[in-house]
Amino acid sequence: MRVALYVTCLVDLMRPSVAFASLRLLEAAGCEVIVPEGQTCCGQPAWSAGERALAADLARKAIGELEGYDYVVIPSGSCADQIRNVYPQLLADDPAWGLRARTLADRAYELTSFLVDVLKLSAVPNQFDGSVTYHDSCKGLRGLAIKRQPRDLLARVPGLSLKEMSECEECCGFGGAFSVKFGEVSTKIVDRKCDAIAAAGADAVVGGDLGCLMNIEGRLRRRGDETTRVLHIAEVLAGGEA
Amino acid sequence: MTAAAKHSQAMHFQARAGEKVRNPVLQRALQKAKPLFVGKRAKGIAGLADDDLDFEALRTACEGIRNRTLADLDVWLDIFEERATASGAEVLWARDGEEVGRLVVDIARRHGVSKATKSKSMLSEEAHLNEALAAAGIRPVETDLGEYIVQLAGETPSHIIAPAIHKTLEEVEALFAKEHGRPIETRTSADIPDLTREAREVLRQHFLTADMGISGANFLIAESGTAALVTNEGNGRMVTTLPRVHVVVTGIEKVIPTLEDFATLMRLLPRSATGQSISNYVSLLTGTRREGDHDGPEKTVFILVDNGRAKLLGSAYQDMLRCIRCGACMNHCPVYFSLGGHAYGWVYPGPMGSVLTPLYTGIENALDLPHATTGCNQCGSVCPVRIPLPRLMHQLRTEQVERGLRPWSERLAFKAWAWVAGRPALYRWLTRRAARYLNWLADGDGRIRILGLAPGWTAGRDLPVSSGRTFHELYKARKRA
Repeated sequence: MRVALYVTCLVDLMRPSVAFASLRLLEAAGCEVIVPEGQTCCGQPAWSAGERALAADLARKAIGELEGYDYVVIPSGSCADQIRNVYPQLLADDPAWGLRARTLADRAYELTSFLVDVLKLSAVPNQFDGSVTYHDSCKGLRGLAIKRQPRDLLARVPGLSLKEMSECEECCGFGGAFSVKFGEVSTKIVDRKCDAIAAAGADAVVGGDLGCLMNIEGRLRRRGDETTRVLHIAEVLAGGEA
Repeated sequence: MTAAAKHSQAMHFQARAGEKVRNPVLQRALQKAKPLFVGKRAKGIAGLADDDLDFEALRTACEGIRNRTLADLDVWLDIFEERATASGAEVLWARDGEEVGRLVVDIARRHGVSKATKSKSMLSEEAHLNEALAAAGIRPVETDLGEYIVQLAGETPSHIIAPAIHKTLEEVEALFAKEHGRPIETRTSADIPDLTREAREVLRQHFLTADMGISGANFLIAESGTAALVTNEGNGRMVTTLPRVHVVVTGIEKVIPTLEDFATLMRLLPRSATGQSISNYVSLLTGTRREGDHDGPEKTVFILVDNGRAKLLGSAYQDMLRCIRCGACMNHCPVYFSLGGHAYGWVYPGPMGSVLTPLYTGIENALDLPHATTGCNQCGSVCPVRIPLPRLMHQLRTEQVERGLRPWSERLAFKAWAWVAGRPALYRWLTRRAARYLNWLADGDGRIRILGLAPGWTAGRDLPVSSGRTFHELYKARKRA
């Protein structure tokens, strides 16, 4: 099974270990993993800002790079939502590109969804001594119905216990450009998330989207919490070293 | 500039948002209210199962009723007008808020009205009806408890079903003491019934002496020419039955075909709003007082208002007209509960306001609102009539770009970024440098405290960064090794 790994621009720049962990997970599960050259950004920031033409350019570029594999796997619910749900509507007016977008959308999976729904993974390579609490990122949860999959996987990690936080489905306040444009409002929102994390009292907060995790980690640290680890689920499942 | 735009403060959203986030009294009020709203709705929706009802199936039914009505809105409005007129009411049409004011003042003058009691109506806020009445020497008295508080304080509602949600108990106590001419007392939440009784006593006199009652309508039922009113305090009944004249002011999109449709929509409206399976009062008001009736108005006038609605028909925004004003979108909005409603600058706050304010007051007059979203879609997932609020906000952002309403610097930045992202070799070179630069800015522990490029981020958060190498750089090196 040939699987293309789309590492996402944020992981590439801010936390390469997430992509390496995803790579190890997929290889351990028996996939032939290819990291398509030339991949940059899925174009979601442009799309969100209303820059439709720029978003369409980047969508066509990504489709060209990612088609032809059995599957495309993305360690982010947000970017996966862009490819699965936005690309087909963005390119719907062009019959040829619309078809290519729909074909890719059907093969593109968020990481945990791929591991559970497609590979039906029964064992994970890593172990984790401690407790974690899981933050459901909005695009994964409400755009791709990812809820059970990460929990299924976490339950298979030896030594790990899950301590659910209250309101784990509440937005963390990241929202891409929102967190910069409306920094104060975003901080207010992530404060509530940090309160919920603190109340859960887990050793680590885990999620499937680096944007949310950077937001949560940044606020936890600024509030003086130096101990709660903030991890991408790929790092928990495969181990975090690069 | 439209009449509505003149009253909008939506262009000051960014500045107001900052003020609201830093206001500890407001924050206390909001923190208290949010879990109540969310919890009550969740319980209300879960309770559907007790009646063998399914939320998604009901949503589909409600969405369908609203869509079918909107598809032939002119026809249903004609039927409503015919049936309402046949039952003795008068039906008038208003193009905008100013026309509403003129019509109501005119009716008041013809009937010698000096005081009008009002039941909650957001459309009367759109129309600035209280100002128009006061300017004509007619005293408007708000009788919904929250609206009464807001009117005494000289403010506007900050929530469509809980207008005074921004006020704390202490603030209401101080306000009542001042306005009702009594000394301030120390109050706890156990005293809320006392404060309510105090307001009731004042309002009772107004109910008995008002010559005109003004209400909105949750729905207009076409087949019978009826206004449906869904309330909890009982004031709506007083307003619509005691005075000689009753004026209903509501939007043209509120019409639905049948009583049966009303029953279906009522399955979700109160549950979505307050979690109740049915509200304390549901009034169906048809025509005028008939012979043998103990109460009811001698004169009933419907004023059906456009104020920007008709132009949404057939547009990319038509879905918004399905709205039944339950407030669930704002009750589940992380942005709304960080700011309260006043930051939004016009009548409707929260996600529905971020769509309606630009559409009713001009897209160019509310540029921030469609951007004031994290894209979380908590609103869209609770909406009882499945309005895709995030998609509509996105459509507005796209229209801002298409109409050249975004700052040139922002557009240039996006163009430059997309140009680079379209050129992988250049992109790799730049991101390698960016990774090193970010790492150099970090304080040795992998965290940036102040980032000049994105001060909005680092004002409240650190920025965790990588070891200074991008993934693609590391991956390439590894493959070579």
